[in-house]
Amino acid sequence: MTESPSTPAASRLAGLWKALEEPLAGSDLPLPARLAAAALRCSGARRAAIYLPEKESWVRSAVSGDGGEDELPESLDPEERRTELVLVPLTAEGEVHGQLALEGLPGGDGGGIAPVLGVLLGGLLAAHRYSRQVKEADFEVRTRLVELESLYDLGLSLGGQLEVSALADEVLFRSISLTDAGKGTLVLFHEDGRLLLERSLGEQLLPAELFATWELPEGDAVINNAAASVPTAGVRLASCVKCLAVPISVGGRRLGVLAVADKESRDGSVLDFTPADARLLSLFANQAAAAIETARLHRAAIEKERIERELELAAAIQREILPRSLPEVAGVELAAASLPTRQVGGDYYDLFPLSRGRLGFLVADVSGKGIPAALLVSTVHAAVHLQIDEAKTVVELVERIDRHLRRYAATRKFLTLFFGLIEPSEGRLTYVSAGHNPALLIRGAGRIETLGSTGVPVGMFPDAAWKEVTVALSAGDLLCVFTDGLTEAVNTREEEFGLDRLSAVVAAGLRKPLPEVADRVFADVADFAREMPQYDDQTLLLVRRA
Amino acid sequence: MSEVCRVAAERRGDVAVLSTDGYINNQGGEEIARQAYAQLESGARALVLNLEKTRIVNSIGISILIEVLEKVMDRKGQLAFCCLTPTIDKTFRIMGLAQYASIYPTEAEAVRAVAAA
Repeated sequence: MTESPSTPAASRLAGLWKALEEPLAGSDLPLPARLAAAALRCSGARRAAIYLPEKESWVRSAVSGDGGEDELPESLDPEERRTELVLVPLTAEGEVHGQLALEGLPGGDGGGIAPVLGVLLGGLLAAHRYSRQVKEADFEVRTRLVELESLYDLGLSLGGQLEVSALADEVLFRSISLTDAGKGTLVLFHEDGRLLLERSLGEQLLPAELFATWELPEGDAVINNAAASVPTAGVRLASCVKCLAVPISVGGRRLGVLAVADKESRDGSVLDFTPADARLLSLFANQAAAAIETARLHRAAIEKERIERELELAAAIQREILPRSLPEVAGVELAAASLPTRQVGGDYYDLFPLSRGRLGFLVADVSGKGIPAALLVSTVHAAVHLQIDEAKTVVELVERIDRHLRRYAATRKFLTLFFGLIEPSEGRLTYVSAGHNPALLIRGAGRIETLGSTGVPVGMFPDAAWKEVTVALSAGDLLCVFTDGLTEAVNTREEEFGLDRLSAVVAAGLRKPLPEVADRVFADVADFAREMPQYDDQTLLLVRRA
Repeated sequence: MSEVCRVAAERRGDVAVLSTDGYINNQGGEEIARQAYAQLESGARALVLNLEKTRIVNSIGISILIEVLEKVMDRKGQLAFCCLTPTIDKTFRIMGLAQYASIYPTEAEAVRAVAAA
């Protein structure tokens, strides 16, 4: 048979609960203080205290009541008999969660209230403790989730983030945050070992220049929980108590170092870094390495693309400089071709129909390669076209070109050139060879003469002088002016094509159509060199007196 | 960037705006809590935490913010965050802060919302 609320037992319980309700409800006081106040009120004791487990003993957490100057003990041993105190274990589910100490109970035992309080307050204390444990577990789970999400987000943002300083901030801040470190430093190096950037939160852990020589083992994070007194991987860190450091590397190549220090706790003490912290930092370092390498390759690709665009533009300009077609001049047959080894070359040829049926022609070879050479070719082209009507002689033209280059050329380069003036009606060729390789003159009978240099290259010396030479040209005589890219083409045995082979090919074409002869020359040179890459432009100009 | 977090407080009626500058860690969290409790004691009903100048928060800082949030809720008050970086925004949502405190993109929106609540 059960008791109804109107029975004396129910009435006593209701009274007890009423006495407990007020001190337990609301208030900003922590639970132990409220439990002590409730116990005091229910029991009629002079003082009540709650003791909570801490390590191996019970430590006083809260006191309620008037105790005068006598303090209740700060910690107690439940086995110890104390006549002035009644100790009540606060139990729930068979576990003791705290101790209630009552001093000055009326009648010595409080009329049997103490065991009831042990169960009631024990249940509340257990519920509070379990609730806190659940909260802590929930916090821990959520923290792990933040870690996972951070790794995922970092992977995504690093994949799309190609600016290295932004990458560095992202990696450093997340590393510090997720290891609860108080400070940290990230240092990245150029490929040649120079410092690329340094980012720190708080005091820098090590001078930037020392990071480059910090001998951290590849692929491993180093934990040093005694960093204040013991070197970390051979280096003494001045501004931290404990540290965790990991190299950032790709394929054994060191890209940087990531280090965090002084793991925080809620009570302000510095905690040890754990293997889990080391794993997390290593994961960040791996992701950072991949992203930084991607960013570097992306920059390199953009740079390459930019250079290629510039080269294409320069090549287009140079194509405009070279003659699109050959002029028709009575008494003269012509063929010409130029093969740049790069997108833009340093060879230049041009032809100038002049008054009285004359023809001027030019083959030039600029020192250097690529854009600077192309710029100089462009300057030479402008100079020749500006000066050719002004100069009265071939040598004067060359002198004018030389002066023009000295005044206007952006780069201090020089060039070899062969300028010839052919007068078909007179059967005469006048030329200046400014340091150019010898031109070949194949006479109609097959005899080969060479037209050597008559001065130094143009643009080389301030007071240079050139000599003008005139030779007779008979019908059928074939002049071959070329650049050394043809004769110095090498094969796999490092042999040069040479002047002899060139002379032979051209001489063999003495009476053949000149475009066919030119094609034969280039084909023979290519066949000779085969798969060997060539590093010099190849230009050929053939002039035959009809 | 300094690891020391500075907190500036500004009162707008019964709404207190706390603006942080730096790392919200143990020190930063304690400073926020100290100023938040002072504002509550002096009659503030709602708190707005402006984290515009904070780029990094650790778990200790978050646990202190949760304590502040619980204190505000015990008093039937309001707490709102504003101007969070995407990383901090996501962290607060995962850690459960957004369950009881609202997050706004701007301070003006946050102040308006908690003042009207």
